Amino acid sequence: MRSVKTYITGAIFAWILIAMVSCTPGSCFEETNAFIKASFYRNDVRKLQPPDSLTLFGLEMDTNRIYNKASNVQPALLPLDADTTSCTFIIRINGITDTMTFWYSSYPHLVSMECGYTFYHQLIEKPSVTDNIIDSVNIGNRNISTLNVENIRIYY
Amino acid sequence: MWKTYAYIISFLILPGTSTIMAQIQPEDSVLIPLKIRAGIEVSGPIIYLTGKNNLSTEGYISVDLNEKLCLYAGVGYSKFKYSQYNYSYQNKGIFFKTGIDINLLKPEISMGKYWAGIGLRYGLSAYNSETPSFWYRNYWGTVTSSLGPSARMGHFLEFSPGVRAELFRNFSIGWSVSLRRLIYSGTNKDLSPIYFPGYGNGAKPFSTGISYFLVFNIPFKKIKVEIKKEIPEEVEETTETEERTSVTNK
Repeated sequence: MRSVKTYITGAIFAWILIAMVSCTPGSCFEETNAFIKASFYRNDVRKLQPPDSLTLFGLEMDTNRIYNKASNVQPALLPLDADTTSCTFIIRINGITDTMTFWYSSYPHLVSMECGYTFYHQLIEKPSVTDNIIDSVNIGNRNISTLNVENIRIYY
Repeated sequence: MWKTYAYIISFLILPGTSTIMAQIQPEDSVLIPLKIRAGIEVSGPIIYLTGKNNLSTEGYISVDLNEKLCLYAGVGYSKFKYSQYNYSYQNKGIFFKTGIDINLLKPEISMGKYWAGIGLRYGLSAYNSETPSFWYRNYWGTVTSSLGPSARMGHFLEFSPGVRAELFRNFSIGWSVSLRRLIYSGTNKDLSPIYFPGYGNGAKPFSTGISYFLVFNIPFKKIKVEIKKEIPEEVEETTETEERTSVTNK
């Protein structure tokens, strides 16, 4: 008889716990933006080193800067436009300006019930970059998601 | 909250069952009626009738194999709608479950009337889902899009501990907690279903739930089950004998 009561009591506590959890309204705590994670490397020593000053913004978006003379940015986070298949950024490293253009495809991704949907991207080809201060850009991981994974390396 | 009310009702009923069980006289064997059961889940329709948009109904048939094991087959239908500030979603579909129920009560306690045990089940769902609209905002602005209707199938496993008691002749009530593991949601991982019939949130690998059942029983056979008598523990007797001996020597 005691074992029956033990089963029932255990089940009741489990039920109350689950009922309490299921009644809690959900909130979005996850990352909902997929960025290109760009790490900066010094070309002469091929070592990871953030620029002393970084300014970054989208083409014709000068008034809305992602970074404005920021220091110690590592990695830089570059958002892509899900409505188009290419994005051009103006990047100013230590006062010298270059442009970078990315080509990609976009697809919807469910973050969670609480957060809703975002767009993930896949880089189609190597970005086109001017060479005023940037030496080269290498792709490490083509899949642009909310995961904290390095996507490109910028050698300057 | 309706499920919590249901819990309170069952909690009020269960102490009565323990009183009945306590009156059972010890015998060498007991006659256990094997039954065919037909059950319906009641909390889903009640919640729907109170004005919620989401409907989930479920019914089952089970057949006793012996005093411990029971074959289980269930079917259900669900209709789910959800919307929040950045998307709306809808899903409807059916699901099937099959498996076994294992009664953990001793035969002399259960007597074919009471059940406390676990259910092990495999579930298969077929559903149609759609995201009529969603929007996403980032540095470049706001993108509005939608995902059209798509028909999918997926499956899951369920572990379901619970209790059931016969209230009247051939009529029982019971409830169970369900712990489920998703095997395949029917989509790639980018577009997991927000709701998966019979399972719950398809974006998560595990889900939980509570079901409250009304059950109609049809006895079809009686079997004689021997009662295992408890063997007294020899260790305790030896210790007592030793103590008595030492007292006598003193």
